[in-house]
Amino acid sequence: MHYFAGIDIGSTAIKIAIVDESKKLVGHKISASGSMFYKYAKQALKEMLNELDIDEDSLVYTVATGYGRKLFKEADENISEITANAMGALAAAEGKCDIRTIINIGGQDSKAISLDGEGNVVNFAMNDRCAAGTGKFLDVVAMNLEIEIDELGEYHFKSKGTPLAINSTCAVFAESEIIGLLGNNNSVEDIVAGVHYSIAKRIIKLVKRVGIKEGIYFDGGPALNSGLVSAIENELGKRIFIPEFPQITTSYGAAILAHESHGHESKA
Amino acid sequence: MTEHKIETPKERQNRHKAMEAAAVLEKIKHDFKEPPKAMDYFYDLHERVHCKHEALHSDKAKVGTMCIQVPSEIIYALDAVPLRLCNGFYADDEIGSDFLPSKSCPLVKATIGQFASNNFSDKPDIVISPTTCDQKAKSGAIIENMGFEVYDMEFPRTKESHESREYWRRSVRKFTKDLSENLNTKLSKKKLKDAIKKVGYAQHLYHKLNILRKDNNSPILGKDMFLVTNAFFFDKIDNWIEAVEALANECEQRVKDEISVASKRSPRIVYTGSPPIFPNLKIPLLIELSDAIIVADETCSSNRMFNDMVSVDEWFVNDMVDSIADRYLKGCTCPIFTKNEDRKRRILDLVRDYNADGVIYQAFAGCQVYEMEQRSVLEAMERAGVPILYLETDYSPSHLGQLTTRIEAFVESLKNRKRRQ
Repeated sequence: MHYFAGIDIGSTAIKIAIVDESKKLVGHKISASGSMFYKYAKQALKEMLNELDIDEDSLVYTVATGYGRKLFKEADENISEITANAMGALAAAEGKCDIRTIINIGGQDSKAISLDGEGNVVNFAMNDRCAAGTGKFLDVVAMNLEIEIDELGEYHFKSKGTPLAINSTCAVFAESEIIGLLGNNNSVEDIVAGVHYSIAKRIIKLVKRVGIKEGIYFDGGPALNSGLVSAIENELGKRIFIPEFPQITTSYGAAILAHESHGHESKA
Repeated sequence: MTEHKIETPKERQNRHKAMEAAAVLEKIKHDFKEPPKAMDYFYDLHERVHCKHEALHSDKAKVGTMCIQVPSEIIYALDAVPLRLCNGFYADDEIGSDFLPSKSCPLVKATIGQFASNNFSDKPDIVISPTTCDQKAKSGAIIENMGFEVYDMEFPRTKESHESREYWRRSVRKFTKDLSENLNTKLSKKKLKDAIKKVGYAQHLYHKLNILRKDNNSPILGKDMFLVTNAFFFDKIDNWIEAVEALANECEQRVKDEISVASKRSPRIVYTGSPPIFPNLKIPLLIELSDAIIVADETCSSNRMFNDMVSVDEWFVNDMVDSIADRYLKGCTCPIFTKNEDRKRRILDLVRDYNADGVIYQAFAGCQVYEMEQRSVLEAMERAGVPILYLETDYSPSHLGQLTTRIEAFVESLKNRKRRQ
């Protein structure tokens, strides 16, 4: 049996997905990127092969993507995370939803990708250089409010009042804004809901730049946050599709590309 | 304790600029397929001027220009040399930041930065500041306050009307007279005709070289073309002509020999927007390091300098001056104009003539007119079915991650599109 790997070396996490000859996802792994992208990525891949009991020689093709993609020299190919994200989303939603728009929120940036009917990337937009409205921003908020990142969704739905307006989505300025709101005796729940709505508004501006087309897919770590998902759906007025494993869409796309590239090479 | 020598500000600035320039030249020379041999002249020239700070024009009166719109034919005819001072150094951008609002254009900041430090290997005797974009127009007064002689040259903000044409012709006539007095040199019919012929020949050579880029066997990369055109800012025109002649001949041979600097699958790009000026070639380099090739450009630091030739009916001084004025107004596609259909038309012509797969539009953050014109250019390209990527950048050498991702994703989507066709 041959296997194919996609490695997405992002700013906060390294995501690995492995598919088999029938493009079926056989395993995935998420680990922290830390300060040594290359070393940790290599380590993670090795551990994963061990866990799945896959022999190194059976891994026949690897595609790297994400910020650290160029550092991973063992990869047979590397590709931008936008193309990989699109491929992964199409595969993850196959038979469930006809995807035309992708929203991705990562550790340090957010993207909107527009696809044509055949799944090709026709347009994309990315946030400008700051952590506004990204996963990093949610980290800062959770830390300030002394709650865990995976509790944000729960707090969101407990908000009783109107979500508070957080004007600054700059991770640094928002910190002082949140402290101000706490000082005015606002509840943590209302602040959390406010944060989610401010991110939702920002991401929708990005989506508008590429055009909102139904069949909206949302991935990246923050897609696990049900409060944020609800805020985006409310702001859009549309349902969005959340895959089973939102964090690994891009690495899954890279693994599928590895499968295709290997196929082309074998034929050639 | 060892004694540390403390650098003077000038030494420090020169060291920083030399480092910036050297790093970019290294990349240009070594990170790509083998360039034409004749490029060595330009690599060497940029190194002499930007790393070693050699003066090229010690024997001549030097007329600094703040923008492409100052007619170089008139300056040459008055026995002086035009030096285009539009600046691409991050080190100078940082110095200039002290004098301008934080959201200003990096090119303007860098240009002001060089004046503020009064550090020129070829120092201009007079500076001509055309009233083109707001930031350049206002810079004239700032530079004057720093003790330089500045001449404001009035430029219209529309180009279709009879009034604007007449206004600009008057402005060029006045400039000719005033500069002649300033330099204490009389303008003669012969000298002006010679200057028109010489600049015209330089333009002709550029076109001779440029049309070779239409071929599917691309003989030269865009990053090298930008070095060639950027050299026209400051080089001795006779040397430049000789070097481009050699380069064009070599590239012609390369096309015959089917030597290509790109692969068959490399998407062909038309580059437009805020001007890449050495050493700020970061976007052209990122594009061509991502396996695409720039086959043509629509920028004022390159293609636009050479576009239209002066066309003279009668070789009398007054007619020649008016014809020069017309060339600079009619051929201009700067976004400072109220409407700019010509620019969109030119980009689309380039896409068609150079068989391009897509357009990359760079705007410097703070270059308001290019930022504003983005939307209408994007819409025009969309209507024509031409893929386009818009990028906002500045001079900072860091933060290439996001730019790389965008460019690579765009290139991948163009390759994908090409495969399907």
